[in-house]
Amino acid sequence: MGDKPLWEQIGSQFVQLYYQHFDNDRVKVGDLYYDDCFMTFEGSTLRGKNNVMAKLSSLPFQAIQHIITAQDHQPTPDSCVMSMVMGQLKADQDQVMGFQQVFLLRNFDNKWLCTNEMFRLSLHNFA
Amino acid sequence: MGDKPIWEQIGSSFVQHYYQLFDADRTQLGAIYIDASCLTWEGQHYLGKAAIVEKLSSLPFQKIAHSITAQDHQPTPDSCILSMVVGQLKADDDPIMGFHQSFILKKMNDAWVCTNDTFRLAIHNFG
Repeated sequence: MGDKPLWEQIGSQFVQLYYQHFDNDRVKVGDLYYDDCFMTFEGSTLRGKNNVMAKLSSLPFQAIQHIITAQDHQPTPDSCVMSMVMGQLKADQDQVMGFQQVFLLRNFDNKWLCTNEMFRLSLHNFA
Repeated sequence: MGDKPIWEQIGSSFVQHYYQLFDADRTQLGAIYIDASCLTWEGQHYLGKAAIVEKLSSLPFQKIAHSITAQDHQPTPDSCILSMVVGQLKADDDPIMGFHQSFILKKMNDAWVCTNDTFRLAIHNFG
């Protein structure tokens, strides 16, 4: 683990924790957001942790499982970390679907929180 | 156009310009990057305008056409813009493939430049 650049460690730890919380106890994901965060979910943008958590809590499935296919992390000029994730998810008995997600992480008092997030299902990628 | 938030206007103008330039003559993309820009292309990292342009110019196809399915834009706490694009591309006579790309844009000297660029083909999303 010591060989990976710091931003990769930060990004991959965040991503692992995010999906672990999301799949097992979605409410805990709230710990990972900055209060004044932005989230765009399938094209609709929400602002503020409370609104984001209301949206995530209201998603119409009981069981959800994410599998990460690939993740990329980069440092940004303002000392943030940008993480892009490509993967698959399965909600309840629905079929497996591809998804894409981007997170922008920022350090607040030694804690890395998400200030910006975007999520899209990869349903569009079929001609 | 006046109704859209400013970050959406800037983000979508950038995205349009980026793919137009990429498809017409990708060797000209240098102008949108700076020396501190990071590109992650299919998991490989490239740092700086020169290395990025070299990578993009050396991609093994003559013709390329990108088609954007969806794009999302948000303002970041540092007054940058985060953009996520989902689309399809066709290189030479290869079959159409899905792709995911994310950008961070920063205003420098009155121009918006790309400081972070992450690209992945969506070929992983099949169980």
